[in-house]
Amino acid sequence: MKPSQRTLAAATPWLFAAPALALLLVFLVLPFLMAFGLSFTNQRLVTSEHVGTAWVGARNYLRLFDDESFWAALRNNFLFVIVVVPVQSALALMLALLVNQKLAGVRLFRTIYFMPVATTMAVVAVIWSLLYSPDAGVINRLVQLLTFGAVGPQDWLRDPQLVLPAVMLLSVWQGVGFQMLVFLAGLQSIPGDLYEAARLDGAKPWQQFRYITLPMLKNTLIFVMVTTTIYAFQLFTQVQIISNSGASAPVDSFRTMVMLMVHEGFRNGKIGYASALSVVFFLIVLAISVLQRLVLREERAVR
Amino acid sequence: MTRSIRSRIMQYGLHALLSAFFLLPLAFMFVSAFKADEMQLLTDMGSLLAFVPYGEISFGNFAKVFKNTPYVRAFVNSVGITALTVGLGVLVNSMLAYALARFRFFGRDLLLALIVALIIIPFEAIAVPLLLLVNELPWLGAEGLTTGWLDSYQVQVIPFIANAFSVYLFYQFFIELPRDLEEAALMDGASRWRIYWSIVMPLSKPVIATVAILQFLARWGDLLWPVMVVRGDTYGTLPLAMQTFFGQFPREWGSVMAFAAMATIPTLALFLAFQRWFVSSAISSAIKG
Amino acid sequence: MNHKTSTLVVALIAAWGCAAQAQTVVTVWVHAGPGPEASAYAAAAQAFNQHNKDIRLELTKLPEGSYSDQVNAAALARKLPCVLDFDGPNVYNYAWTRKIIPLDGFAELATARADMLPSLQRQGSYNGKLFSVGQFDSGLAVWGNRKLLQAAGVRIPAKLSEAWTLDEFNTALKKLKQSGVPTPLDMKFNYGVGEWFSYGFSPIVQSLGGDLINRNGFKTASGSINGEPAVKALTMLQGWVKAGYVNAATKDDADFVKGRAALSYVGHWTYRDYKKALGDDLVLIPAPKFGTKAVTGAGSWNFGISADCKNPAAAAKVLAHLMTPAEILRVTEANGAVPGTHAALALSKDYGPNGALRLYVEQIQQKVALVRPETPAYPAVSTAFAEAVNNIVAGADVKKELDRAAKRINEAIEDNDGYPTK
Repeated sequence: MKPSQRTLAAATPWLFAAPALALLLVFLVLPFLMAFGLSFTNQRLVTSEHVGTAWVGARNYLRLFDDESFWAALRNNFLFVIVVVPVQSALALMLALLVNQKLAGVRLFRTIYFMPVATTMAVVAVIWSLLYSPDAGVINRLVQLLTFGAVGPQDWLRDPQLVLPAVMLLSVWQGVGFQMLVFLAGLQSIPGDLYEAARLDGAKPWQQFRYITLPMLKNTLIFVMVTTTIYAFQLFTQVQIISNSGASAPVDSFRTMVMLMVHEGFRNGKIGYASALSVVFFLIVLAISVLQRLVLREERAVR
Repeated sequence: MTRSIRSRIMQYGLHALLSAFFLLPLAFMFVSAFKADEMQLLTDMGSLLAFVPYGEISFGNFAKVFKNTPYVRAFVNSVGITALTVGLGVLVNSMLAYALARFRFFGRDLLLALIVALIIIPFEAIAVPLLLLVNELPWLGAEGLTTGWLDSYQVQVIPFIANAFSVYLFYQFFIELPRDLEEAALMDGASRWRIYWSIVMPLSKPVIATVAILQFLARWGDLLWPVMVVRGDTYGTLPLAMQTFFGQFPREWGSVMAFAAMATIPTLALFLAFQRWFVSSAISSAIKG
Repeated sequence: MNHKTSTLVVALIAAWGCAAQAQTVVTVWVHAGPGPEASAYAAAAQAFNQHNKDIRLELTKLPEGSYSDQVNAAALARKLPCVLDFDGPNVYNYAWTRKIIPLDGFAELATARADMLPSLQRQGSYNGKLFSVGQFDSGLAVWGNRKLLQAAGVRIPAKLSEAWTLDEFNTALKKLKQSGVPTPLDMKFNYGVGEWFSYGFSPIVQSLGGDLINRNGFKTASGSINGEPAVKALTMLQGWVKAGYVNAATKDDADFVKGRAALSYVGHWTYRDYKKALGDDLVLIPAPKFGTKAVTGAGSWNFGISADCKNPAAAAKVLAHLMTPAEILRVTEANGAVPGTHAALALSKDYGPNGALRLYVEQIQQKVALVRPETPAYPAVSTAFAEAVNNIVAGADVKKELDRAAKRINEAIEDNDGYPTK
């Protein structure tokens, strides 16, 4: 290759990467570094020159570890992740498999399962909070029906034990359609010949699933679980709406870390403290994601 | 034969149950949008009537939405801003993912790890620093060089074009894509850009559709950022316009539902349009051929 | 010069000429929902623009739900409008951070300042200066359904001095429940955790002799928000919920109107809807004497001039216009609030000697209405108290929640070095 061709070849990946990298650097990395810097100050939301912002060192972080709302939020996020990630991933896979079959009208069902995803979360949360009403809510009616009256009407959103499961249900309802699409894309990329060959060899559907589908989907599965985990940690809109749409359970029983960030930052104006929260949040989730990837042993296919 | 029919019936049965689960809350929304009598809407909430068009059915709530909110303007703004962000995003993010997936270069692994880490940062964590940042950025527009991006279209588009999660989605897809076609084209002397644009992207329909829909949804429903950077009707989007009904009491649930119903339709339309891209594409046949 | 250039020159001169005669633009932000308040403000803006050709009032209506977030973001970016409204006790925080400027120096506002209700003057003052003017004050008392009350044999107080005592109030609740009213007292829990909890429930604490913060210097909340009277007040509230007198889980704003509640503890803004639904059965009952005296809420949205304004004099003219009796009445006709100046009050039908809402004015005049704590720490105070109330009605331990609220408030005060007023 000529030297100029070599330079071009070396530069090509960077040329491809440049626009996105530049944008990410300016609009994501830079603000986060600013937040990191702010976490060591007592920056307020509404400030003025004569009041100023002071360097307070690690005070925000120390206060954080002493704050029971922080630990409550962390616990809520963990509970949420532990339940929602497996449940939503499994349900999404099942839906994708179902929808991948050659069945008349399957396209309609695919659309139906996706519809919750297409609806604005704010509205979804409002609708569900109405459905969860203790005396006038449909969910209670349904539960009474299904248990033949054994389980009475519950105050889903005000009972500290029930509020998190209620939010979990609504989140799975809203989010599973998207994961279904991801799995669908993964399923579509499995060459049909493999199934053909297996069928010719007499493999049953369950065996085909176990020995062809699952292994071929391994990367997709890992991807879905890692991203659902991240989304679960970022949970905010649903819980915020529930807290805004009427009296709710004691806030610490369902408040998530991002909601705490927003409350401390915007409602209480403590930008410095909220920034410290976001840094800690980032580190925790990063650690977990790395752990997840290591445990699940993802196969990187670029040789 | 019987087994096949039995399996079909089971599938349909399963589908029916699942459809009920997924549809009912939405049915509630659509049906309530048409109930013009607010009192009755609230009474129906506790019974099966919540899902049934019953009582005074009319477009009254929809009329109220158009009267009390700048719906049309907000709709146009939302569509424009979201389409622009998503369109440019697909291009720019797939380019970065292509670089990561197909090239081995110094710092590649580190860059990939960094991008995956960036996915973790929630928008709420950088909202305030970003506000301070965009307030100082220059812009060349109709009035010449101005400082500050507030109350504009660019402030709602540019910061969101690049998206770490989209990059990751594209990357995951590209590394699974067999390289034979690209290698053949390289041998024929095609430029990398040609390969990317004419070979890889057309084969990437499923992931393009996924990324487009995901980003569309995120931008379409975003409330926090418009609240912070936009005021008034000129540049406002739909979520901001819907806020008109929140905060004032009594809440006009009928109007809220009508608004929400109308706001759902574009995303549904988009999904329907992209439907066929999710069908098994020509990947396998292309490889064989 | 050729034809093109000469045209260009003429155009430039014409543009310059226009620019020289440009009006001063005063940007105004108001919070507005889909109700009649919005049209009232639009009409006010139109009236001003018609009579003032050298100043143009540019009105932007922002939805109430996200209003304070938008204002805070604009403050951060130094893009506040010239004139904006904000909910009562936020005045002190905005004044302390110098986001709004004192109004004492503006001659245009002299009449408004002198004629404003004393409670509004108190609300708008910080550190000896006036920072805001209010078109209206709020009214908070108990609405009653005459039919249901009479059926249960409950005495309906005819005037302010005949307000219920705590015992009478508790008995009334019991009688109403026994007579078949499902949840006799509607306390608007459907409003969610927000300013309503602080505005509405702190008077109960204050009526029992407590307060949210020590008003002597506003340096600490210990002993106030977690003091004995506060604990007693909120235990009482928790008791009412437990006994089934109050439905804390309601999402329905219509409990009172539909007869599920016979009493509705809420402010003036519900007047028009309640009147429409109940007609002559609607009675306004004075705030009960939960302790030795009756206390009720005071203060409402008021207007100020921001420090970002380039033409404060023009902004002051706009404020003066908004404070004329005609404009005040235009707004209060829409939202049912108490007109903010004596002149406007004299002209108001609802607040006249036989007006339906006369009680609100009496509560203000007889100092039953108590202004919310005049401290820049108020947003922190309000959030802490509101969260505590929410947790308490859900069953949490009263003392623990109030202690936590006190800790949060003290932390906020400490963070700001006690809000020095140098």
